[in-house]
Amino acid sequence: MNAMNRRKLITASAVLAIVGLAATALPAQAAEVGVSSSQIKLGMTLPMTGTASLGYNKIPGAAKAYFDYLNANGGINGRKVTLVVKDDRYVPTEAVAKTNELILKDKVMALLAPLGTANVKAVASVVNPGRRGIPVLFVNTGFSGFADKKKYPTTYTVLPSYVMEAKIMGEYIKENFAGKKIGLLYQDDDFGTDALAGFKTAGVNFAIRVPYASGSQNAAAAAGWITKFKGAEVDVVILFGVSSATSAMLGVAAQLKYAPQWMLGSVGGDATTIKATGVPAAVLTNAIGFSPVPATTDMKDEYVKFFSDIYAKAVPGSAFDLNVLLGMNTAFMTAQALKAAGANPTRKSLINAINTQGATFANSALVPAAYSRTSQVGLTGYWVGRYSSSGDLSPIGGSYVTYTTDSGAGAVVKSTYKRPAMPAKGLPN
Amino acid sequence: MKKVRILSLLSVTALISTVFITAPTVANAAPACDGKSPIQTCVGATSDGAPYAMQVPANFNGTVALYSHGYRYNVDIPAGIPLIGGYKITNTPEPVPGGNAAVAQYFFSQGIAILGSGFARQGWNPDSAIKTNVELIDTFKKQFPATTKVVAWGSSLGGVITQGLAEKHPELVSAVAPMCMADNITPQLTMAGDFLWGVKVLFDPSIKGGNYSPGAAGVAESYTDLVKVFTVMGKLQAALATGAWPDTASATGKALAAAGVPSRSALLLLGLMAGLPTQSAHFDSVSGPEGALKLTFPLALSPALAILENGTNAAALAVLATQDVENQAGGAIFDNTKTDYAARIDGERVIYNAALSGNTVIDALLGALSAANPGAPRAVADPAAVAKMNALHVNTGKINVPTVLMVGVADPITPAGASQRLVDLYVEQYAAEKAAAYKAYQTTRDYKAPVNKLLMLWNTTPTSYTKFNAAGSPDTSAPAAQGTNHCNFTSAQLLLVAKSLVQASNTGKLPSGAALYTAVRRAGNLSIDKGLSVPLLKYYTDNQ
Repeated sequence: MNAMNRRKLITASAVLAIVGLAATALPAQAAEVGVSSSQIKLGMTLPMTGTASLGYNKIPGAAKAYFDYLNANGGINGRKVTLVVKDDRYVPTEAVAKTNELILKDKVMALLAPLGTANVKAVASVVNPGRRGIPVLFVNTGFSGFADKKKYPTTYTVLPSYVMEAKIMGEYIKENFAGKKIGLLYQDDDFGTDALAGFKTAGVNFAIRVPYASGSQNAAAAAGWITKFKGAEVDVVILFGVSSATSAMLGVAAQLKYAPQWMLGSVGGDATTIKATGVPAAVLTNAIGFSPVPATTDMKDEYVKFFSDIYAKAVPGSAFDLNVLLGMNTAFMTAQALKAAGANPTRKSLINAINTQGATFANSALVPAAYSRTSQVGLTGYWVGRYSSSGDLSPIGGSYVTYTTDSGAGAVVKSTYKRPAMPAKGLPN
Repeated sequence: MKKVRILSLLSVTALISTVFITAPTVANAAPACDGKSPIQTCVGATSDGAPYAMQVPANFNGTVALYSHGYRYNVDIPAGIPLIGGYKITNTPEPVPGGNAAVAQYFFSQGIAILGSGFARQGWNPDSAIKTNVELIDTFKKQFPATTKVVAWGSSLGGVITQGLAEKHPELVSAVAPMCMADNITPQLTMAGDFLWGVKVLFDPSIKGGNYSPGAAGVAESYTDLVKVFTVMGKLQAALATGAWPDTASATGKALAAAGVPSRSALLLLGLMAGLPTQSAHFDSVSGPEGALKLTFPLALSPALAILENGTNAAALAVLATQDVENQAGGAIFDNTKTDYAARIDGERVIYNAALSGNTVIDALLGALSAANPGAPRAVADPAAVAKMNALHVNTGKINVPTVLMVGVADPITPAGASQRLVDLYVEQYAAEKAAAYKAYQTTRDYKAPVNKLLMLWNTTPTSYTKFNAAGSPDTSAPAAQGTNHCNFTSAQLLLVAKSLVQASNTGKLPSGAALYTAVRRAGNLSIDKGLSVPLLKYYTDNQ
């Protein structure tokens, strides 16, 4: 054997040895957890029962409606997408327990759209999906802290942050209610803290701020809130809480004929949900509202029309509202992420797909998403609307004018975003 | 909410290991063997006077299992003290956990002997206990020259002793299992000190909570503290639904009460800042009774009840261990002059926001407990005593031999974070061993992958377990849930540990793969999920 051949052989031996080393050191490549040849399993926790379930408990049905449509049209590369839903009642400790079940017993590939700042934080802290490499897709909370990639490396937001919403609200107040006395009702936790930060950045001065502890919202509490707002003689009351807080407040206000200029945050601003509690629609008349997606009554919008048609067939008799639209939109984005994750999706490839392609995923929102290799932030803005006497939210002036901003000190600007057209048949390309 | 009965059901006695063999206490007493078959029992005492017991089956195969018991109080407890009154110091040997017959029978069936001492001195004793164990191993080998292998295991403080033995004398043991292992003395007593200090400054400023007088006077002070702490916990329990403050509350506490801060929120905050689990024997912080409290109970009440149950359980040890270690160190050892309690609960304040009554109340409580408030004076340690305490035995966390850890994720006395620390350290150790192996490979072309030396068995809590009676009141008559209380293991779980030790001793490798998964599933309420992690003790978050 000549020297050249011997060198080649040694090199080849070394390569083989290293390959062999890798083979012994690493387990055989197993299929990803929650992914089989026929199925991709996702898990969701959110309040399906209890005070805070109001409206939000329609989200799983909405997401399933889209996934059923997707599955009937071939699924994701032949795999059906299934969704396991667990009721956490908006109790953080229960969200932890149920998420553990999803991961350890149900063996889901990813967590989808868990709801509530406290719940998502509790799960991040105790269950630690980030450390486990488990994707937490499109969380149903606008807490700006989830943008911290170090703390939440696998968590992706979709809703604009509460800071963004408060900043955009603040700009609207400055332009339209200058000199008026403003009152704020907010949840006394990170949800509210985010809002306060946004209003501060926007330079809003409140005549009174009324916090409520999560879980304490009811009619009796609402009567106390109204007393405080009346005492402060406010002209405008911002309701920056969950649906049950908004409903309690508006229901009691209707009884007491307390009628300031209402301004509703998007989290608790779904009229269908509010009306379902017996609150008369008239109390909403001329209230100001905010949304990142088109009005749910806007059947000229191709996304709204498409989702509305699917939902009507899947859940006949159930009103198509903001929670339904957001639930279906999330499922639609998830389908695109799974498709982009490759022929045999893994948790890692799913995360990579959102990082690299998420900003271009088709979806109904009228504002851009900010996903990138360095950002796990979803939508970034709102349009401003006014509720009609029937409770429908429509854009002020008749057409959508969208505003975008960040969760920091950045300015609120009119958005020039052009939404991608819906892919053929509403299926991921 | 109906008044709940908790205090009478607390398992403080769980701290005191069950004992089952009497032995002489004369130092250096040679083994006295009964010569019986099939199990021969030998008793004696080591040179420091620790009584020991050996039980050797007729089919002895050369392996002996050495068990180290947990913390036993080093003072007698007067009968009048609630819950633990009547305890007498004991150093009776304990060769298997709690005298568990099934475990002993398993070892004997395998031809394995069992061995354990009662240690010469009770209280915090790893320094002397490790020496005792070293001598005991030697004595056993001399008595039974066929001995080839020693496996060691221990519970609670016995876990510290076992880990310490493996760190200092890996040549003596082929596998070890520290179970419900305590952390090192400073993190453990920081947890105890934080909670006691909080109870004192908010609920009863006459509680001493540390800095006890030397000798008998300090012991008497600790007795008084025990009564006061149990009394205030009883008052907090009685007022849990109303949120009223005990009549012994400090001026700071009374000001908080006047501002509408519920006492249960204050109690919960103290538990969180100390690092106590929010799941206890009977309160899962998840369940609620049918009816109006279905949601309110887990959101607003259950976490505080869990802290009440866990805090009361931990209080006895906190008082007595503090007095014990202060006596050893010669002065006050707890110091919170620089502790940032707001940072301590930064992660938890949103999770338990409702039970803490919202950010406004949380901020009021943290303000009241801040170093800036003269109404909540911080505890100041004696530097010389702290130095002396720190010179007591400290485990580094190095894993030298195959090691099995098992702990309840909601153990209120030796938090699971103590085991998590070893897991975290071993990740670094294993990575370094792997790098060294690869480096050696580059020279030798003979890669020897490092063998995994750590198996972590998490004793998990059920998803929900709080029971309610027909009236909707919590029912605390059921046994403590799995994963809660101190060293609350079933025989099946202890047997899994024992079998893992034996396998590791025989093969040099811990169980793994499908066989391990099956064994873990059969043992019940255990998880080996590598993704499962629990918080470290708060001491470490202070010192990151």
